[in-house]
Amino acid sequence: MSIFSLILRYGSIAAAIFGVVAIIFVHQTQAEKQMPAPGNPPIMPPQKPFVESVAATGILESLSENVAIGVPIPGLVAEVPVKVNDKVKKNQVLLKLDDRDLRAEELSVQAQQEISKAQIKVSEAQLAKLRSQLERLTSVTDSRAVSRDELENRKQDVAVAEAQVAAAKAQLAAAEASLKRISLLIERLTVYAPQDGTILQVTAHAGEYAATSPKSPAMILGDIDRLQVRADIDEQNAIRIRADQKAYGYLKGDPSVTFPLEFIRLEPYVIPKISLTGSSTERVDTRVLQVIYSLERPSDPPLYVGQQVDVYIEAPDRHKSP
Amino acid sequence: MIRLALKMLFGDNAKYLMLVAGLFFATFLIVQQASVFCGLMRWTTSTLKNVAAPIYVVEERVEQVNETNPMRDTDVARVRSVAAVRWAMPLFSGLQRVRLADGSFKTIQLLGIDSASLAGAPGRMIEGNLEDLRLPNTVVIDELATTRLSSDPSDPSKKVKIGDQFEINDVEARVVGICEALRSFTGGPYIWTTYERALLYTPGARKMLTAVIAAPVEGMTANQAADEIEKATGLRAFVNEGFGSNPRDRMTAKGEHYGDFNTSTIWWYVKNTGIPISFGTTVVIGFIVGVAISCQTFYAFVLDNLKHLGALKAMGMSNFRLSIMLVFQAFTVGLIGFGLGLLATSGFALGAINNGQPPFYMQWQIPIGAFVAIQVICMLAALMGIIRLSLYEPAMVFRA
Repeated sequence: MSIFSLILRYGSIAAAIFGVVAIIFVHQTQAEKQMPAPGNPPIMPPQKPFVESVAATGILESLSENVAIGVPIPGLVAEVPVKVNDKVKKNQVLLKLDDRDLRAEELSVQAQQEISKAQIKVSEAQLAKLRSQLERLTSVTDSRAVSRDELENRKQDVAVAEAQVAAAKAQLAAAEASLKRISLLIERLTVYAPQDGTILQVTAHAGEYAATSPKSPAMILGDIDRLQVRADIDEQNAIRIRADQKAYGYLKGDPSVTFPLEFIRLEPYVIPKISLTGSSTERVDTRVLQVIYSLERPSDPPLYVGQQVDVYIEAPDRHKSP
Repeated sequence: MIRLALKMLFGDNAKYLMLVAGLFFATFLIVQQASVFCGLMRWTTSTLKNVAAPIYVVEERVEQVNETNPMRDTDVARVRSVAAVRWAMPLFSGLQRVRLADGSFKTIQLLGIDSASLAGAPGRMIEGNLEDLRLPNTVVIDELATTRLSSDPSDPSKKVKIGDQFEINDVEARVVGICEALRSFTGGPYIWTTYERALLYTPGARKMLTAVIAAPVEGMTANQAADEIEKATGLRAFVNEGFGSNPRDRMTAKGEHYGDFNTSTIWWYVKNTGIPISFGTTVVIGFIVGVAISCQTFYAFVLDNLKHLGALKAMGMSNFRLSIMLVFQAFTVGLIGFGLGLLATSGFALGAINNGQPPFYMQWQIPIGAFVAIQVICMLAALMGIIRLSLYEPAMVFRA
């Protein structure tokens, strides 16, 4: 038997055996390249607190909602005596607008007042003069010495002068009223805190122009000792929501922070959902029922107004009628 | 007798080579083409492998993972509200274009995952920290992207590294991690970012949520939970267990309704593209060519050795024993041809697996099936020889 046929015979057998081994190796290599089997996410989401629940996304607000402080008229901001995080009392000054135009007007009204006062004096002097003239005429006992016509004229003069005094007084009163009005208007340019609370945001600074647009308030005031959660519930789940259902909130991003929520109220008007996802354009997808819950502000970790929370609300079993 | 059979088989080098070569090509064609087909079909479901979640909830009429109908953002909360769901998170998946520094464009598969839990994050990180994904304008790219998005793919020193930047739809993206991922069917690399940022990278639409990924509560299987989700929300819930039959498969008026997203996706491609026809034809031709060559060669081999076989018959060897000899010869040739075919396939496979291209995924059933097919070919060939032999009169040996 030739060498060639020997090589062919045993070589082919060896190569065939090697082929089977190689394909097993290939199978193992591709098994190693497999992606891991489905499992849990790297950071485990919170355990659901209830068996049957309705999930919602919510946003933290200060209790009694965040008050967007507005200005009465558009104008230049003169002074902002408060800072962010300041605790303010009711009627504390929050913001002053520029009032120089009104002060200028006040000056001219004050001058007007002085003029009116002088005018009163002038007309009073006039009246005194006319009165004394009339008195002299009436003191004459002989009726023939004074003509009837003259006497009447003098009386009329006194009446006119009296009216002039009254008019001058009225003018003074008008000037005074005008002054009061201007000081009220000046007073109105100072914005006071409508309630106790903490300054959450200040967007207006001295020298800036404050507009009356409700979308850009000059500052936001809120009571942050107690917070509330405004939970958006999809309209399809809204039928499972009742007042006084138990609820828990989880801070988005940290499932270890759980806080019990206390029911406050249901907003009776179902509104279009405003996307909280941070997308560049607001997308109105669906309508949502808003439920308000309050919570005690925990000391640790700190919670901030405006944070997103995942809310689980205990709900009746959907297979049974509630 | 066995020795005699082997001696006869190996006696003629040229015939032996012909026999083995036919079976070798048949094996190679069947195994390699079937594996490439499986690999390609697997690529269609690579999103399901890369975002490994037990349950996928999609819009009611969605049939495959690469073609989804977006849902509303609140659908995440609706799925979360189902008692059988342990967790549910949003997922965005879509094709986007990346602009490179030199101005060229590359298509990528963008994935947006929940930023808090990072559910749907890549399974194996090679470099970088997954949690850096929460930093502004950051993405995690797969290995393919490191070369695909580099300025010069042939130069390894220019690979995309952590800290490199590119643009997705004119928005900056900074690489904070590199991971392993399966290639997508469209050939683009996978790029992970958070759900919120994926929406920023993508041109706005009214609905953007591709799917909700979820997991069943403890003590419940994914199938049960998926049933509960479908019942409660009216959305379609698929499990993600891999291609195969599922207890939730059922026939509907519109066709088969699959319970597994992999199965559903693959069947969609089988029904709606020409891929299975093209590969199937090659496999069938491989089989036919194998049959034709092997039968012909084996028959010629039997004819050549007819004298010896006739002599054996004349010496009193029964037809049965002679048949056993022929069957053994055919079996041996089949075994060797099959082994050589596997060797060639392994060579191809290792190249493909290391390169990531072309697709190659060999299910364990493929070589077994190929073995059966090859043996069927061999037995057919042996049968022809046996028929010829049994018609042969021993006296014929002495007539010549």
